[in-house]
Amino acid sequence: MEYEFQFHYILQAWPVLMEGLKVTVQLTVIANIIALTLGFVIALLVLSKYWLLRAPFALMIELFRCTPVLVQILWFFYCVPILFGIYLAPLPMGILALGINLACFNAEAYRAAIQAVPREQLDAGVALGFSPLQRVRYVVFPHAFRAALPVLITNGITLFQQSALVAIVALSDLMYMGRQVATQSYRPIETYTAVALIYFAISFPVSRVAAWVEQRLDAARA
Amino acid sequence: MTEIQPLVEMRGVHKNYGTLQVLSGIDLEMWPGDRLVVIGPSGGGKSTLLRIMMGLEDIRRGEIDLLGKRYITGHEQSGKTRIDSTLRKQVGMVFQHYTLFPHLTIISNLTLAAIKTRGMPKPAALDKGMQLLKRLGLESKAQSYPSQLSGGQKQRVAIARALMLDPRLMLFDEVTSALDPELVAEVEAVMLELAEQQMPMMLVTHDMWFAKNIASRVIFCAGGVVVEDGPPEQVLGDPVNPRTREFIERVFHIKT
Repeated sequence: MEYEFQFHYILQAWPVLMEGLKVTVQLTVIANIIALTLGFVIALLVLSKYWLLRAPFALMIELFRCTPVLVQILWFFYCVPILFGIYLAPLPMGILALGINLACFNAEAYRAAIQAVPREQLDAGVALGFSPLQRVRYVVFPHAFRAALPVLITNGITLFQQSALVAIVALSDLMYMGRQVATQSYRPIETYTAVALIYFAISFPVSRVAAWVEQRLDAARA
Repeated sequence: MTEIQPLVEMRGVHKNYGTLQVLSGIDLEMWPGDRLVVIGPSGGGKSTLLRIMMGLEDIRRGEIDLLGKRYITGHEQSGKTRIDSTLRKQVGMVFQHYTLFPHLTIISNLTLAAIKTRGMPKPAALDKGMQLLKRLGLESKAQSYPSQLSGGQKQRVAIARALMLDPRLMLFDEVTSALDPELVAEVEAVMLELAEQQMPMMLVTHDMWFAKNIASRVIFCAGGVVVEDGPPEQVLGDPVNPRTREFIERVFHIKT
């Protein structure tokens, strides 16, 4: 292959790519904040003893876990405004779509972690006089959050990567900007390589953090 | 002349797990200052009795008064158990496995419930917590996490955590069973100290030597009922009931 790499195009396009990265990071961070909280609430509802509370959220989890994210994003952008009359700017809409998707995955992680909270810890909560809500706040959540943390972080990075899919609905994230640069400069190889490396440069360290957290938790348990 | 009222009064307490009948009519009175040790074969409902007293279990039938007020009522028809959660705050419990909160420091373990459930101001709670730790010789561990403590230390902290809330009755459910043998004495010493201060307590233990030392009264539970009830010298030394006698002989035989 006789291809001459010309990376100075990338240097020129760098500020544009950084603009895109800013949107991607915004999207990821806010969606994660939504998913970390909403996911826990969904997990509690799914574990409710009342069938009426359990069923709709169990269904919601399965719907989001068993359909492609790309379809979900398109569905949110085209169907939500029409069906529910909710008109949001592209960025909030993207955040909502990704946030709810991630919340469902996090809910599964939380559910397993909540079920693993030792029975005696809950008993101790009762014995100390905590109300049911206080038991969730002071006993269940800290336990479940720690146990689920490696999975939560991994889910979070996965979402960071999947957020590239929002480029399809013209949200000017890193992927979208990369595509603009690639077509304008006729340098797709350099551009997409650079875009890939930027995604990697952020995902990789965070995945190492997840591994480190998991190790520490294992050590603490032993 | 004021009549001394019983601390605890249980009448006809029935408990079952599905079809398994665990308690079939427990009648029991506990008086202020009583240190009641519950002994008996496993599956005899000893721990269940303590868990019911803590309000951790439903009962099928029967009622329990605490401090002269109705604490727990089992409604057989509706299958519901009413527990007065205000009265429950008068009871403290220590469990077999250390139930300290692993994500909190020792001092926070002590103060959390006092602040959040009893409305104690934080400085007062910290002060009281440090005093309790000092009494147990664990003040240097205040900022440590439970995972950094030995089993005996953890169990002493668990006792301190219950004492933070000024219970009128303490429940100890096999608190030394999970400990290494060399750590048992330090935990038992704390309980003996509490006994000296006339803290009413109800405890389940397999350690008959300890039972003899701490009890003011021993009850032998088997088959879901109280088979024998009396001072430790009698129940452990010269039991009247043949079932108690058989149990005691077997236990002490194993021990010697």
